Parts: sequence; structure tokens; C-alpha cells
Amino acid sequence: MPSVVKLPRKNHLDLAQRILEVARQQGMRPGAHLPEQQLATLCNVSRTPIRAALKVLAERGVATRESDAGYRLAVDLSLPADFDSGLPRAEEAALADAILRDRAARRLGGTITVTELMRRYNADRRTVLKAVLSLTDDDILQRAPGQSWVFRPIPDSPQSIAASFEYRLLLEPAAVLVPGFQLDGVKAAALRHGMEALLSRPDSEFGTREFQRLDIEFHRLIAQGCANPFIADALAGHLRLRELPGHAGSVNVFRLRQSTQEHLGILDNLEARQYEVAADLLKVHLRLSGNQRPQAANRGAPPLQGLIRRLV
Amino acid sequence: MKIDRPPTIALFPEASFGAALNCVGIAQALRDRGARPVFICHGGFSGVFADYGFQEYHLPAAGTPSDTANYWQDFIKRHLPHFDMSPIDQIETYVAPTWEAIVDTAVEAEAPLGQLLARIRPDVVVLDNVVMFPAIAAAGCPWVRVVSCAETELPDAAVPPYLSGLAAADEAGRRAFEARYLAATEKVHARFNAFRAETGLKPLPRGQFLEASPDLNLLLTPTIVKYERKVPLDAERFFYLEGCVRSEAPFQIPDFPRNKGPLVYVSFGSLGALDVKLIQRMLDVFAGLPARFLVNVGGMRDAYEAVPDNVHLDAWFPQPSVVQKSDLFIHHGGNNSFCEALYFGTPSLIMPYCWDGHDNARRAEETGVGRRLDRARWTPEDLSAAILGLLGDEAMRERLAANGEAMRRRPGTARAADAILSLVTNVPSKVRG
Repeated sequence: MPSVVKLPRKNHLDLAQRILEVARQQGMRPGAHLPEQQLATLCNVSRTPIRAALKVLAERGVATRESDAGYRLAVDLSLPADFDSGLPRAEEAALADAILRDRAARRLGGTITVTELMRRYNADRRTVLKAVLSLTDDDILQRAPGQSWVFRPIPDSPQSIAASFEYRLLLEPAAVLVPGFQLDGVKAAALRHGMEALLSRPDSEFGTREFQRLDIEFHRLIAQGCANPFIADALAGHLRLRELPGHAGSVNVFRLRQSTQEHLGILDNLEARQYEVAADLLKVHLRLSGNQRPQAANRGAPPLQGLIRRLV
Repeated sequence: MKIDRPPTIALFPEASFGAALNCVGIAQALRDRGARPVFICHGGFSGVFADYGFQEYHLPAAGTPSDTANYWQDFIKRHLPHFDMSPIDQIETYVAPTWEAIVDTAVEAEAPLGQLLARIRPDVVVLDNVVMFPAIAAAGCPWVRVVSCAETELPDAAVPPYLSGLAAADEAGRRAFEARYLAATEKVHARFNAFRAETGLKPLPRGQFLEASPDLNLLLTPTIVKYERKVPLDAERFFYLEGCVRSEAPFQIPDFPRNKGPLVYVSFGSLGALDVKLIQRMLDVFAGLPARFLVNVGGMRDAYEAVPDNVHLDAWFPQPSVVQKSDLFIHHGGNNSFCEALYFGTPSLIMPYCWDGHDNARRAEETGVGRRLDRARWTPEDLSAAILGLLGDEAMRERLAANGEAMRRRPGTARAADAILSLVTNVPSKVRG
């Protein structure tokens, strides 16, 4: 039976990630002091949870503790290393990941109950409920009558992936064109480093997961830069679905390299404030990325685009 | 001033993934050598070759997407039961109707293909198909035939009949199969010869729809499964490629809830992925085995429920990179899949549906590179025994590993590219031959 090991509390991990975000925004360099009171004010919490979150960062080597001066930043946040994903997952977050993995592989049905999940993952009711509620908050699950939850559509079939690209084609270029677009320069620089490092690798070492991470971060950067909060929220919610297991269609290295180069071209234009050019390039990029293989092909037969109804 | 332009090689694979992706491998090697490979393809394959960085030229597609969807609904309803039949009983039910459809594609393509070739003005045309397109012979440049089906596609008295799934020594079987095959394909063959005559091509012998190229013919067949021919092929015009495997992104094995045991990859191609009933039966058996299974289900993921914890379903896999990491490959005997298994030294369990899958299944057993299992007649015990038997066959594994190593030393894609470029006159100096 799959089980989830005991892990740190989710609120401490969330706060640790928030601290990194604040440190990035403040342009903190390695060795910079991480003042508890200031962080508590910026994160709108008391000093006690900040101290616990700093401890989590220290355990991961992202911060160091000095007995008299408190905590200092130990890493360069402008470099492409993914410190956030290096943090351990909270128990309920790890369970949510396992639920998503198993739904994508159709090990779980479209409707689930807390009791079923407790049995399957050998987890207590509180942890399962927290995981289910976090998936509900992310619009992945929806409460159904009785004690059950239903999975909402996610882009994991040829048709839903096509619909997802259609949605993004409407919103992502628009996000760039809304007056007041603001690019997060620090994140953009880190992404650029990451993409250039990926492109420098030979085909045999090309990391598809690394590509996927940078791809998601790149499109999230665009959503976050949008001056219209409704468009930004809608895009952020939808992009979250792209992180789910089962979504990633494997593509060959040539296209992944080309796609990364397209990201860099868009980034160049965003940094130069050429927003209309960036929006046009984004459209081309999404159209090329949305291309799908035929679902069936056989000699003498016309290749099938789209799905076929189940007959057997 | 003379312009030193790279030679243009027009690759024209049939509209099936086996031929298409086999040609991608050759095109990658041609590009590495400085040539300009371009693809001529059915409109339904739009973007497939562009994603690998190649220029595409499309032949016009007949019918709307809705017509195609209806075609496939009818195809599945009509032919799935035929795939349970023996090769000889598929002759009238599946093979002859498929030849009718194939000849239709050749007739429909003739005029647009001629126009396209006149526009592209290739230095060489590479045809990977089972039927001749007369426009290619009239293109005014050398043409290459890629035999990407099993070696049985080229007839010989010592080689079993194409699509028969017979052993070479089965003389009675050969006579019975050939008699029914020639009778069932007589009408379509006559129609095809009449079409050829209109275009100025000579008629072909009974049962044959594609001649050898006068310039160059490339066979995928690796030595380990090659037949001893009664009349050896002319070594000047026929090259054995020892497989022809494209390059894909490295595959990262997914996390399984039950994450132990050898890795088994299952793919019956895009056609086989539509047979949900068969795959569901197999998943029930996989649940009880000490191995992890990657299963290609195409667009049918939603047809499955309660998938076992040691099984991962996906719509598509970068097959060569997956086979490379697998301990066993269960497939339909498509020649590309079979050659990929041999190239990476992975044993095959072949459950053929149709066409040359039958021939490869038989040959895998005869040459000890895998096993055959009748897709329609197996018990859970049969499937378990076949999987565990192959996973535990160390002697086969060692032999295949050594053979794969030899195949990888000089990849078929490189041999193909070199042979194709040898046909180009006045190759520019920057193109490596």
C-alpha cells in the first residue's frame, strides 16, 4: 500500500518559500542577515513561525545559523538553482502529489472519498482532509454530494490539452499587452541563466524535467507580470494544472531546444519593453507548442487527429 | 558564380508512425552531414516532422476531420475482430481491403505528388512505403526504396511469404497461403497495373505492388534475424541497415507507487492502443507480477480505471529512449519496434495484430531473440509465464546485449545517410559523405 513519510508542517514550508521570495525581491546577497522581525512584518506573521521556517531553510543549507546574529542567507538567489523545489514537501503536500500522480495514471477513479484515500495511503483523516482541501483550493478537486470529491478536468488528453492551448493563446499574449506589465527582473535573470545552461547540454544529457520546470516558471513569470489581477489569477490557476503529472507530453530534443530559444526571444523583448513583439512571439510559441501527433495511423488509412470513442 | 547549395533529399514515408519515425532517424543523420532533408507527407501528419526541425510539404488530405473520425470508428468496428484471426484468414478480411485502400492512396497522390516534386526539385527521393508512386520514377533524380517492413517484403524462394507468419521450411503452408493471397489480391493488383500502365510504368508480377529501385534499396533487417536467401540480393543496390533508430530525448522513468522490479515497456503502436479490451486484460495480469510496466494507451487513457500500482499509462513515449532502459519490450511486431528492441539488446514478446507483425513474431522465435504470443488466445498464466520467462532468460539477454552493442557501433541511420548521399552528384565539399 503506498504511504507518505512524516514530513515538516506545511505552514512552515510555505513560510520558508515566502521568505525566499522576500529575500529575492529585496535583492539579498549570500551572507545577508535574515532579520526575524522584519521578515515577520513582511510576511504578516509573528516571529515564532518565522523562526521555525528559518530552521527549515537552515536544514536544507539555504540559510546558516549564527548563535548571536540569528540567520544569514547561504545561497545566491539570482542563480538558476531551484532552492524552492529543494525544500522537503509537507506531509499533506506529498500526499496531494501522490493523489495527483495516481489520478494521472488512472490508479484513482474520477470520484474519491476520504476513507478510500486513508486506506490507500495509510494516512490519518486530518492529513487526507488537508491534502483534499488544498487540491480543492487549486480547483483540481470539487466537492460532490455526500462525502466524495470529483476531479475537475485537467489537460491530460489530446482534446483537453488542445483546449488548454486555446485558452492560453487567448490570455497569455493579452497578459503582456495590458498596460502596466511589470517583469520581475531578478526572476527573469535566473530563468535566463537556467535556460542557457540547459541549451548548453548535449542532446544525450538534455533534462526533460528541467525543461518542464523552466517552461512552467517562464509562463508563470508572464502571468505574474500582468497588471490586470483577474487575468493574472486566471492564468496562474491554469498554469498550475500544467505542473500536474500526466500533463507533460514527451517531445523530442529538437523541439525542446527550439522552444527554449523561443522563451529567450520573448524574454529579450519583455526586457526591452517591446511588449507587442513579445506578445506576437508568444502567440507563435504557443501555436508551435500546441501541435499534436495524429492519434492513430495505419497504412492505407487517413491519420486520425483527435479522439476516437471507446468501442470495446 | 556557382552556388554551393546542400543537396535536398525528399523523404516520403507512408502515413504510419513506423515509416515516419524511421525516416526521421535517416533525416537526422542526413542533416548531421550537411544535407537538407525535407518531408513529403499526408496532411494528417502535419507538424510531426516540423517538430524534429524538418521542412514539411503536404499532400492534400481527402475528406474532413469528421470524415476521418467516422472512418476510424468504422475501421475499428470492422477490423478488430479480424486481428484475432490467423494470418491466412486475414487475407480476405483485412489484407486485400487494405491493399485496395493503399492503391487508392497511390492513385490520389499521383498528380499532387508530381507537382510537389517539380517544386522541390530534390537531388534524391527516399520512398518508405509498400506501394509505388509513379511520379517518383518520373522525378528526374535517383530514388531510394526503404524496406521498413520485415525482410519478407522482398520475395525469395527461401523466405516465407510476406504477411504469412510462416516458418521458412513450411512448404505446404507456403503453397496454401500464396494461392489464397494471389486470388484475393488479383483484382486490386490488376487495377494497380492498369494505373501504372497509364503513367508509363511496366506491370509488376502478381502479388507485388512496389519494385526495387534501380538506384538504391535499404533494408532495416539486422543480421541476427536475416534469412539465407536462395537468390542473394545484389550487394551493389541492396544495403542492410542493421536497424534504423532515431534519436529522442532521454527518458526519465516515472515514480510508481510499487517502485520495484524490472522495467517492461508495452506498446502496440497507435492502432493497437485502440484495443482497450486486450490491454485491460493484460493490466490485470501485470498487477500480480514483480515488475514495473510502462503502457502506451494513446488517447484512450480515460478508458481505464483502477490501474495497478506497478503500471504507468501514458499517451505517448519517446520509444527508443524507453526501450533503451527497459528489460523487456512487449509489442505488436511492427518492424520499427522490433529493430529498436534489437538495437538496444532488449528481448521482445510479440503479440501481432496484422501485416508483417506475424512475420517478425515468427522470426523472433526462430532466431531466439524473443517469443510470440497469440493476442487472441492466451490465459493469464500464459502471459505471466512468457514475461517471467523472458525476464529470467540470462542467455538470451547476454546474446542480445552483445548484438545490440554491435548494431550501435555503426547505426543504421548513418549507413542510410551515407548510402543516400553517395547517389548525389556534385556533393558540395561541406557535406560530409
